Amino acid sequence: MAIKKRVYVNFFRPSTPSMKAEARITSIVIVLWAILSYGIPLLIYLVGLGDPSGSGESFITRSRFLGFPLHYWLIAQGCTVGYVLLCKLYCTLWDKRVARGNPRRKSL
Amino acid sequence: MNRTSLILCLTLAAICGLAVNLFAAAGEEIYQVEQGFKLIPAVIMITMLCVYVGVGFLSKVSDTSGYWVASQEIGKFGNGAAIASDWMSAASFMGVAGLLYLKGWFGLGYIIGWTGGYVLLLCLITAQLRRFGKYTIPEFLGDRFDCHVVRLLAASVTVIITITYAAAQFKGIGLICGWIFGMSYTASVFFAAGVVTAYMLVSGMAGVTRNQQLQYVVLISAFMIPLWVLIKKAGGAGILPQLEYGPILSGLMEGSVAGPPLSPEEALELRRTFLPWGMGNFYQFIALVFTLMVGTAGLPHIMIRFYTVKNEDIARKSVLWGLFFIGLLYWSSPVYAVLGKFWNPNGGPTVADVIILSAPERANLGIAYIGYLASGAMAAGLSTLAGLLMTGASAIAHDWYATVLRPECTDKQALMVGRIFTAIICIIVIVIALKPPALIAQIVAMAFAIAGNTIFPVVVLGIWYSKSNKYGAMASMIWGFGMTLMAMVGWILGIEFFGPEGLMPATSSALIVCPIAFLLNIIVSNVMAEKVTEETADRSDNILRKLHNLPGNAAEPRNKNVAFFH
Repeated sequence: MAIKKRVYVNFFRPSTPSMKAEARITSIVIVLWAILSYGIPLLIYLVGLGDPSGSGESFITRSRFLGFPLHYWLIAQGCTVGYVLLCKLYCTLWDKRVARGNPRRKSL
Repeated sequence: MNRTSLILCLTLAAICGLAVNLFAAAGEEIYQVEQGFKLIPAVIMITMLCVYVGVGFLSKVSDTSGYWVASQEIGKFGNGAAIASDWMSAASFMGVAGLLYLKGWFGLGYIIGWTGGYVLLLCLITAQLRRFGKYTIPEFLGDRFDCHVVRLLAASVTVIITITYAAAQFKGIGLICGWIFGMSYTASVFFAAGVVTAYMLVSGMAGVTRNQQLQYVVLISAFMIPLWVLIKKAGGAGILPQLEYGPILSGLMEGSVAGPPLSPEEALELRRTFLPWGMGNFYQFIALVFTLMVGTAGLPHIMIRFYTVKNEDIARKSVLWGLFFIGLLYWSSPVYAVLGKFWNPNGGPTVADVIILSAPERANLGIAYIGYLASGAMAAGLSTLAGLLMTGASAIAHDWYATVLRPECTDKQALMVGRIFTAIICIIVIVIALKPPALIAQIVAMAFAIAGNTIFPVVVLGIWYSKSNKYGAMASMIWGFGMTLMAMVGWILGIEFFGPEGLMPATSSALIVCPIAFLLNIIVSNVMAEKVTEETADRSDNILRKLHNLPGNAAEPRNKNVAFFH
């Protein structure tokens, strides 16, 4: 006998505890992802608005980090290393919050 | 200046660098590669190719199980390496450094686009897809929406992505074969096709995956070793080149290069290259990054990887490792680009083309190393090609033939059809690769836009939004695919709106099209909610229970196809 009540899944309104935990860690990681991917270019853009030549020179492009121009380092290594760490964060959070609350999943 | 078309031309040049270009390569001596048969490298490369085929043969699938999904027994490192090697094509291997050389800071958009997509993939898709546990993306979509039209649409899009993407691989492979064997382009296409078809037909996914692990090791080591020598030559300490090129880069921005001092105009140009908006504006950057990210997260041949592991835990961790392995290449590519600018600040596309292939000579690593580097580049091309052909063939054989056209077919027939279609797709790809349409590089760039606009929204909503139904799915897929095609045609016809400076550049169209596809899916699903039959809704619910580990998941009838694939 099929259950007649329809399954309800909505990322923003998760219905079960484990789905809640999943959606929560996913939102955390996605927010951080958005900050890395779009926040940093936006920052570089905003502080570079003052450059009359339009190439976006600013204190960020003038500062040096590990010898790199900061704007280059932020994208080339800051973001990409950040993504790997985000994946790690996601896996860690998952083990902590989702897997612990649901022993059944471990046996899958 | 027409920037986006410049990007495209450069990509074209980087991917397609035909043998002829190499002869004509100008620039400094160390940025040339010599054409013609080279004995020692050729022997090394042939040996490596035999190893690839041998590995495939040893993991030969005898009992027809595991042709598609490698019996679901691959671990997290192994699958991570396979993801990385699936991902890193001949174009990544040879082209990214060239792109960064020409585009400077703006080129970094490709790097973050191609890595950031994996974060999306991991948090929104991976675990749920693995729980679904079946074999292809069209199958997931078809079952979730209980609709053969969605299944066929998804399968067709998969095949289109596969074919365009695969045809481009032959360009890179042609470059390598010309360099090592002195083969003509035509000959190298057939040569490469022979190798890849041989081991795929012999071994299936298990062999392909095992090869991909091996190929990853070869390609990443071949790629990175010259860096240590080169960075020393450029004045670094030679400990960790990826962290040592900073001062050289800072120097470049002040106009200091290895050769004779630059004229003030040249120095200014060089500085602009490495400034944020010197080669493209903010909007173009964001649109490019967004498109590449959703495209990466929507590529079927990457998603299919999660079916090859034992459980969802390993699926998640293999994305982490896959991204790390991919990162190794993308952390190293800018080093080549910056050193290239340091030694040869004014080189054009011809220099960019051979920035990687000429590295062993610049680093004086000897003739044998050339063979190793070529094997690495070849590995990059072959592994991507194999993964793609596998995905394309499974879309046709499994989703078209065994599910829709002939559900009553036996195991043996389905596998046979799988092999036949692997060969057929390979032939189509060869035909396209031999007589490439003029705009093949644009079309390849479009593969990302297609994946991001068509597959990504429907998969994400299919997983995370229970009200999404087949009408919404069809609407959003048709919209996504149609708009991508329209943008492409508009681009070719030179319409401003889709042009490089336009609001919706064809290669970066997802920033606009993808969110609308999401919206359309939601709206149409809600409007048409009444039309969904009870039966369909029951089936969708059952899939959703499985995706989210909800109670009440009714065991599906184990039809023979399911039994066969286990």
